[in-house]
Parts: sequence; C-alpha cells; structure tokens
Amino acid sequence: MNDSRPAVGDLQSLERSDFPALLERLKADGYKLVGPTVRDGAIRLQKLDGAEDLPVGWTDEQGPGHYRLRPREDDHYFGFVAGPQSWKRHLFPPREPLIQLKRHGDSLEWRRPAVDEPPMAFIGVLPCDLAAIHVQDKVWMGAPFQESRYVARRRRVFILAVNCLEPGELCFCDSMGTGPKAGSGFDLCLTEMNGRLLVEVGTARGEEVLASVPVRKASAEDRQALLNALDLARSRMGRHLNSKGLPGILFGNIDHPRWEELAQRCLTCGNCTHVCPTCFCFNVRETGTVVDGHEDRERFWDSCFSLDHSMIHGGYFRATPKQRYRQWLTHKLGAWESQFGTSGCVGCGRCIAWCPVGIDVTEEAEAIRATSKGHVRMPPPREHRLVAGDALIPSPAQIIHVREETADTATLWMEPTGPYHWRPGQFNMLSIPGIGDVPISISGQAGAAILHTIRGVGKVSQALTSVEAGALVGMRGPFGTSWPLKASRGRIVTVVAGGIGLAPLRGAVREMAENPKLYPSVRLLYGARTPGDILYPDELQRWGNHLHMKVQVTVDRAAPTWTGHVGFVTNFLRRREEVRPDSVYLLCGPEIMMRVIVEKLLEAAVPEDHIFLSLERNMKCGAGFCGRCQKGPFFICKDGPVFRYDQIAFVFTHPGL
Amino acid sequence: MSTGNEGSTPAAGRGSAVAEAPASSKPRLGVFKLASCDGCQLVLLDCEDELLAVAEAVDIVHFPEASSHLAEEGPFDVTLVEGSISAPEHLAQIQAFRKASKVLVTIGACATSGGIQALRNFATLDEYAERVYAHPEYLATLETSTPVADHVKVDYELRGCPISKRQLLELLTAVIKGRRPEIRNESLCLACKRYGYVCVMVAHGIPCLGPVTVNGCGAVCPSMGRGCYGCFGPKEGANTRALAERMLAMGIPRDEVLRAFRFITGYAEAFREESIRHE
Repeated sequence: MNDSRPAVGDLQSLERSDFPALLERLKADGYKLVGPTVRDGAIRLQKLDGAEDLPVGWTDEQGPGHYRLRPREDDHYFGFVAGPQSWKRHLFPPREPLIQLKRHGDSLEWRRPAVDEPPMAFIGVLPCDLAAIHVQDKVWMGAPFQESRYVARRRRVFILAVNCLEPGELCFCDSMGTGPKAGSGFDLCLTEMNGRLLVEVGTARGEEVLASVPVRKASAEDRQALLNALDLARSRMGRHLNSKGLPGILFGNIDHPRWEELAQRCLTCGNCTHVCPTCFCFNVRETGTVVDGHEDRERFWDSCFSLDHSMIHGGYFRATPKQRYRQWLTHKLGAWESQFGTSGCVGCGRCIAWCPVGIDVTEEAEAIRATSKGHVRMPPPREHRLVAGDALIPSPAQIIHVREETADTATLWMEPTGPYHWRPGQFNMLSIPGIGDVPISISGQAGAAILHTIRGVGKVSQALTSVEAGALVGMRGPFGTSWPLKASRGRIVTVVAGGIGLAPLRGAVREMAENPKLYPSVRLLYGARTPGDILYPDELQRWGNHLHMKVQVTVDRAAPTWTGHVGFVTNFLRRREEVRPDSVYLLCGPEIMMRVIVEKLLEAAVPEDHIFLSLERNMKCGAGFCGRCQKGPFFICKDGPVFRYDQIAFVFTHPGL
Repeated sequence: MSTGNEGSTPAAGRGSAVAEAPASSKPRLGVFKLASCDGCQLVLLDCEDELLAVAEAVDIVHFPEASSHLAEEGPFDVTLVEGSISAPEHLAQIQAFRKASKVLVTIGACATSGGIQALRNFATLDEYAERVYAHPEYLATLETSTPVADHVKVDYELRGCPISKRQLLELLTAVIKGRRPEIRNESLCLACKRYGYVCVMVAHGIPCLGPVTVNGCGAVCPSMGRGCYGCFGPKEGANTRALAERMLAMGIPRDEVLRAFRFITGYAEAFREESIRHE
C-alpha cells in the first residue's frame, strides 16, 4: 500500500482505522503519549494509553466564562478547540524541584535534579498551541540563559499537530497568524477530513514514524480540499483581534480610563495567566520543614495578578487590581514583542473562556484602540549573548570577613569558588540554605573577595547580615548590565546616590577615584536618612580628598553632632546652575528619589541619554525566566539593572508598571 | 539592586543562617483556645508523623488539647491561638496571651474572622440566644463574635476551617528557621489551575467562591466537583461584588448569594459587606 516512502514536506493520506497504529509506534519507540482526553467534563491534556483515550465524538461549546462538552455527530478524534489546559504544564510543570542542596561535611553542593522522565509525544497539538510552544521556547531557550530542565524535556518531544478546521466562538488564531494551519515545528501534522487523515511530514523523525503505517500520497483533490477547508476555517473565527501597532497603543494609553473600569470587573484571581499557554512567571519557595530537614527549593507557577508577585521591601509596586490587569494585558499583547520578538498571545481564547466573569481580551484591546490617546515607539528586542551553564545553580562562596556598616547594614567579603569577573553595577543572587535567595549588588572587590553590602530588610537579607566569617553561602552571577564607565571617560561625571543605593555605585566610584586621568571631574552627591545610616564614611572622606573629586553628603534628619548638610539629596541640584548639562549622571536610590532627580536634570536641559539609573525588583531567578522583575518591556535582571534613561523614560514615569 | 529585597513580614527578631539551635534555646510553643471547636488544635495533633519532629524542634509548654502539663504563664516564643473573642473573659485572656508571646499566630476561621458563631453579629444576640438556649438568662456572652486581630496585634494568620497541616508546618518551620513563611495571599483558583482541576464554575455552572477566597486548602472542594465555600476567607482585594453579580447572572437566587458569602468566614470584611449588599 506504501506507494512511496513519505518524505519531509509530503502530504500523505492515512485511513482512520490505521491511526491507532501510529500512536502504538510512538509508544514502542519509548514515548509517553500525552494528549487530549475527556475528564471531569472537559478535554484535558494528560497521559494516554492509546487512540482509544482520545475524545472521539466530543466537541466543546465555549463563550466568555463558559465551557461545555457536547457530543458530535461524527467520530472525529480531534473535533474540539483549546481546552482548560495547555502543553506548558508538561514542559514547564506547575510545580517542580528547582535546586537541591547536599552537605558534605562542611561543604555545600547545590544541584539541579536531572529530568528523569521518558520523552513525551504530544498528540493533537492545535496550531495555536504549537505557536504557544514556540513562544515559550523563546523564554526558556533564548538568551542570555537557557533553562536546563525545560531544554531537556523540550528537545525530546515528538509533536503530532492537528490543523484546526472548526474554530470556536473564542478563537482568533487567524488574527494572530498562528492558525488555523499549523506552522512549522511539528514532526507530523494531521488534518481530519472526510473520514481520513491527511498527514503532513515535518521532520525526518516524523517521516520515520509515519513509515510504519500504511499511507498513500495525497491526491491533488485532497490538497485542494485541505486548502478550501482551511479557508473556510479562517472565515469562521469567533473572535478577531487587530494586533497592528498594539504594543505602542497599549503603552501609549497607560492612564486610559478603561483600566479603572476593568478593575471593577476583574477578580484578580489569575485564572487567565494560568490557562494561558505562554505565561511563564514563577515563584520559588523553600520546601524543607522541621520534619524533613532538607534545604531544597521548588518553583511554582505564579501570576502577575497575585499581590506577592510585585512585592519589594514589604511594599508592592502593583498593589491595585487596575495595575495588575494592566500588567497582564500590556505584557501579553504589548511588552512581549520587545522582549521576545513575538506577541505573547496566540489567539487560543482560553483566557476568555476560563475567566470566571468572562472578560474578553479582544474586546478590551479593541476598546483601548478605539479611544486611544496616543502611542509610543516600543524598543526592538534586545540582543543577548548566550551564556553557557545553568544560571539557577548557586556555587558555594565563603564569607571571609563581615563588616557592620550601620545598625541594619553589613558588608560581606565573599570568596567565590572559581574565577569570577564582574563589572560595577552588576548583581549576584545570594543564597542562604533553607532561608531563600535575594539579588544583591556587587559593591566592590578586595583581593579575591567580592563585596556585597546588604541592608537587612527581609528574612533573607537579615539572615545574610547576621552570618559570621567562615560561613558558606550560595552565590550565582554576576547578572545584568553595568555602569557606562568606558563611555564616561574624559567626561564630567555626577553620581547621585540615596541610602543603600551607594553600594551598587561604589565599584564605579572607586574606579573613577583611582583614575583621575580617565575621569577628570567626578562629583558624588549622597543622601542618607541619618548620620548613622551613612555608608562607607571613611571612603567618602578619602574620595573627597582627591583633587578631581567633589563629595557632598546630606542627611534627612541630623543628629546633634552633625555639622554637614541636612535635607534631601535633591537639594544639591536645586539651583539650575548646579546642574551641568554636559555631565554624565549615574543615579541609584529609591525610585521616588530618582524620579525627582531626573525631573530636575531634564528641567536643566540635561539630555536624556546622559542619565543612567539602576532599578530594583524582587527577582527570583536573575536570569530572565521568573518574570517578576518586568518593568514594561524590560527585564530588570537582564536588560538592566542599569538603564539609560531615554530608553526607559516611557515606563519609568509610571510607578505602577 | 542594592539591598536584600525579598520584603519583610512581621516576625520575631532577626533571622539566623544557622538552623540548628542548642537544645536549651528551643523555642517555647503555647497553644490556646477561645471560642472554637478545637478542630484546628487537632490539626497539630493530627501531624502524627511530623509531631515528633515538631516536638524535637520546639518545647510545647502549653497545649491543653494534648497534655495536662501546662505552663499558662509564658513567656512563649510562638503562641497559636484558636477561636474568636466571643465571651467576656476572652477579652482579658487575649491581652494576656499577647503579652506573654513573642510571635502570636491566630489559627482557623474563628480566630481570623470570628467564625461561624459570628453569624449572630448579623442579628441581635437576644434573637439567637432565645432560639438556641432553653434558659438564655444563664448565658454570659458578648454581643458579637470577633476575630483576635480586632483586639491585639497578630503576627501571622493561618486561615481555614480547619487550618491546613501543610501551612502549620510551614509556619512553624519558618519561625524556627527565621525565614519568611510561604503562606500566600492568592486566589484559590491558582491552586485549582496548578493541580489541573477543571473549573466547576466555567465548565459546570456551579457557584464557587474560589476567585475571591484565599488559597491554602489545596482546592479540596473543587477537586471533588464542588464549589469553594470560602472557609479560608477572602483573599486580599477580593472583588466580591463582581463575583456576586456573575452568580446572579448565572441564575443563582439572591438569597443563595447572600448565604454563600455569609457562612464560616462571613464576618470577614469583604464577605460581610457583600452579604449585606444582598439583604
């Protein structure tokens, strides 16, 4: 019956009765079959024993906040659209071990558990979902880092896609360019029509698998019928989304009244993010208890709708429902383009169906477009160089010296395990077994020791400031961008720091202090809460003694013995003549302080691209995966923490982003 | 990037990187009850496999449900308080517990919201007393049943009716080790979705308080095809009004919507306000 051996690019025809053998072949090849099956009144994606587990003769009826299974009049295997689950739960499980810690005597060894599962064959991947897998690939397998467990699973997946001839009420894959025909990246792609299955061969692996079942070349009529059916499907999309220029429109309407109105309807339950096949945010927790005594960590799906997602220093930068819904929509349909070069939406309609109150993203996006008050130019995706290794595994670092800087702040001298190179402005993720890990900027180097100045504000940072010399902690990094030292050579440099914000700047200031020829004029303005909170007082004095440097320190609240300036650091720039428009400005401190300073600088005609600032978020990975450090189109961990102001101006001015 | 920025939650003193503490400095744990059914204390006893490890890690110095060796005076490093403020003597008791405790944790729906006995707060005490008791004149009780946090500062809350064993162990571990307890204020829906349960509201039209209820139980009711009845109480920023409107639009009668919100945690602010809207 094999009139020719199927080859990549071929369209073949398979009798329906021969389809089960195809799945048997995959099983025989060692694949675990994962696919759609009817369970609890919905079509879920889970382990299949064979073709008999598929939802034969079932379809679904969907609407906003509505999903029901209905029997079909035929016995199609794949007569339904996107259900409550997506393939992401098999490639990026809702909960999985992140790292494990082994103690060998006095030494520590962290490792990531290997993916110990058989390869999976995904059976019946809809075109929208195939596109979603590619969107997630860009998150986990892009740059600068690749996520090893995702890569391990993904590389071995066999994809049996299905073209979608009967789109549903909530489908808009045609608008997003993701369907109804499956794009690239499948091994085999089926189309179920006229009691037969047309099979397109996508890869050599698919070719090999298909060779085990009787097929014949599809006829010219078959090809035409397929094209016609796909055209008909395109005309039957229940929803439509005009995505043209949408990112710029959404970010141009950050203060649109629609967001407030939406907040009245939105439950902030986060269902949309968890049914979305592309959402990738996660959080990390310690799993050890007093009972088991281990010190492992796991990661679990998190949502920008949960308050904790935006927590920093015990406060929240997206406290209101309005800010949270806006984050979801502006990210999904907007920021994503700048982050990954693709929309985050594939038009599957899940977020509409599974929103308990039926909020419809297509309607919301359209409402904002229709009453748009302007748009912004979004940045193109940033190129990152791929860095080898697993960015999520800490290496042990020994604390060789601890210095109490202020009542709540200490500097740790830490000796990394191997060779270590960093640039001022970058940060490390520091880890205390059983307690957690946090991003801490690098505040200098002394011999082989890397310095971190830490203020104890939360549990992990308090634990870090309490460690003693000799202790071992975990360290990952360095991460992120650095201060523009090279580009500032020969120019006037003004450094403005607030509170602990001096720590990430210290490496840069030291460099400039030691090289008067390269940095002929450096001015450092530093503000602390009280004289007792001033960091590195001796070093500030030494810097001030350099002929090419001027150091000015102020405190918010003076003590009786204080003879220096009192008032906010912004006072140093109060008079316009104190602001040099030809200077480079390096800022680090509370966001509110930086906002005021930027305002003053711009008033004094300092060009936006002369201003650099360092932002801070409560990141959990440091490597561009967990999604918690997003500010509009930027990941502070990999696109920052140091930004040039003109690049982030349009998001920096909105605190709730 | 300059500070440890994992945020802070209220806690007892500074954490330590070293989990092991010498035996003599084991934290002292007290367990007390006010107006409650003892079910939450039973969760601690129900830790069977884990109980020995807990007893190793802390000195359980006061736990009437488990032992008659009591040390009511304190001081306690950690105090678990079950039950609501419902009788006159509770007012003084809770002040004493607070005074004797470094970290005070309220456990269960009664302690955190007033409990099922707070249903009387929506009526008058006399009405309830007459219906329930043959001789209400012997009854010494307060007009309302209120959560502990209305009376003293509370460091941590464990919600639920009863509380979750996992959360209890997590909290004790965190307090002992000096880390932030991973007790999330997020919707129950996120648990449902992580487990892969099918939404009972969307797929079956069953009213469910999951979207406005804090996760902690692991979505027990939806896993059995039932709607959540909110025993962990409202999540932060619970948009009860939008959910109630949806329930009405689904054809749920208004008095059922009222009763959905006025139940085990019905006196918690968001649920209370919603049920009043439907009176």
